[in-house]
Amino acid sequence: MRIGYMKTYLTLIVLFIFLAVGCAHSPSTSSTVLPQAKSSPQPILLASNAGEIPVKSSSKPGDAIDDEYKDDQNLDYANDTFNEEKVEIADPLEPFNRAMHQFNDKLYFWALKPVAQGYKKVVPEPARISVKNFFSNLGFPNRFLSCLLQTDFSGAATEFGRFTINTIWGIGGLLDPSSNKELDLQKQDTDMGQTLGVYGVGQGFYIVWPVLGPSSPRDSIDIVSEYFLYPVSYIYPLYAWLGVRGYQEVNDTSLRIGDYEALKDAAIDPYVAFRDAYIQYRLKKVKARKAKLAPSKPQEVNSLTDDPVLLKKEN
Amino acid sequence: MKKQFAVLSVLIIFVLSIPVYAGVPMTTAEASVNRVLDVLRDAKLKSPAAKEIKKEKLRIIYKDMFDEIEFSKRTLTRNWNKFSPAERVEFVKLFEQILEKSYIDKILDYSNEKVDFYKESMLSDNQAEIQTKIITSSKEIPIFYRMILKDSKWKVYDVVVENVSLVQNYRTQFNDILGKNTPEQLLEILRKKVKAQ
Repeated sequence: MRIGYMKTYLTLIVLFIFLAVGCAHSPSTSSTVLPQAKSSPQPILLASNAGEIPVKSSSKPGDAIDDEYKDDQNLDYANDTFNEEKVEIADPLEPFNRAMHQFNDKLYFWALKPVAQGYKKVVPEPARISVKNFFSNLGFPNRFLSCLLQTDFSGAATEFGRFTINTIWGIGGLLDPSSNKELDLQKQDTDMGQTLGVYGVGQGFYIVWPVLGPSSPRDSIDIVSEYFLYPVSYIYPLYAWLGVRGYQEVNDTSLRIGDYEALKDAAIDPYVAFRDAYIQYRLKKVKARKAKLAPSKPQEVNSLTDDPVLLKKEN
Repeated sequence: MKKQFAVLSVLIIFVLSIPVYAGVPMTTAEASVNRVLDVLRDAKLKSPAAKEIKKEKLRIIYKDMFDEIEFSKRTLTRNWNKFSPAERVEFVKLFEQILEKSYIDKILDYSNEKVDFYKESMLSDNQAEIQTKIITSSKEIPIFYRMILKDSKWKVYDVVVENVSLVQNYRTQFNDILGKNTPEQLLEILRKKVKAQ
């Protein structure tokens, strides 16, 4: 009798393994079938003109894709794991900001970009990267002090090590030997605006400065500290300082021509798009700094990168 | 008898849960990105004349990779219900065209860059975030793909570039526009943009 039971179990188990194998394969087969099924309404969509509404695709009853166009009651995404706190900022100066946004846009397309393009043609990329490294190395005091003020001593030590190594072995900062795999001293991407953010100071409202671009009252402190802590600022006379700063800007721009254009092209309202991008970017930088300072509670500050499901299970 | 039954049920549950892990999000995303890179590096398609062929090949890949309806819904959030079904179809289509036209040239510029897939976080049973970075000669660009499991296939519904979520970015823009305009007016703005591009 017992052996008989065992046999039934064995066949059952074997059957289930077969079933499971079948199941495990089904996604891959459906993945090849799905795009085909999907692509059938797509050409219709693409072929029709922009103004025309392709009602033809809805004539297919029971189509899973059409179901997705129905009303949806779960559109808040409030319980969504990726839903971060609302990233919005007051914008009382909108008319002024929009004008400045327009001004900076013209400055980029009429002055900065053409100059950077010409410069890019003459100077090879490795040389331009070295120039960028050189100026970045000079930005050490601001990053170092920011780390110290955030009580991020390991960050401060990293910055100090980088500055020493890159200045001596990196030919005055032209090369960046400290970020290679052996030393692995990465640049601490921080500033005074983030420092205030780490201590809980909010952005306040949005400002677009002429030439300098998106900012806020909080982040504007960085414009001040960057001025005083940046060695280039002490170049005398004024036109020499402006020349060097301008050159740095042209060099940096030459390495990222096309980024601004792509972002602007993709935006429906570029002003709002850049405002949102700036706020998201700064918010996550501050979050990352906070996470670095409080590694003991990663689930609180770093919920995005950690697995909340796993954490819950562990508790 | 009871014990054996318990063992068997555990086994059944275990076995049935395998399909969930069959389409691991990271492998799906990585495979799609590698297909894109293969097209970009294809020596036969290097000539400028082959640009359209490249675009067509890329179109097939991202249709398979992205869930454009999920993407659209998440950018419109509750405003989605204010659109009529026909308007929704048109919205998804126009939005897709805008994204394609603005990013395709940027994507076609890439060729020597390395893409490093380094982390996968499961945020729930059907959502995951894949962290990657593009390594170019002068910088590293962090790109995260947020994916959702639908019909046993993982699809991308949001891309986070340098900490900026595309869904969030468009959500702010559409909220701003729909605060002052009707859905039809938004569609008109999008139509104009597609024509101008």
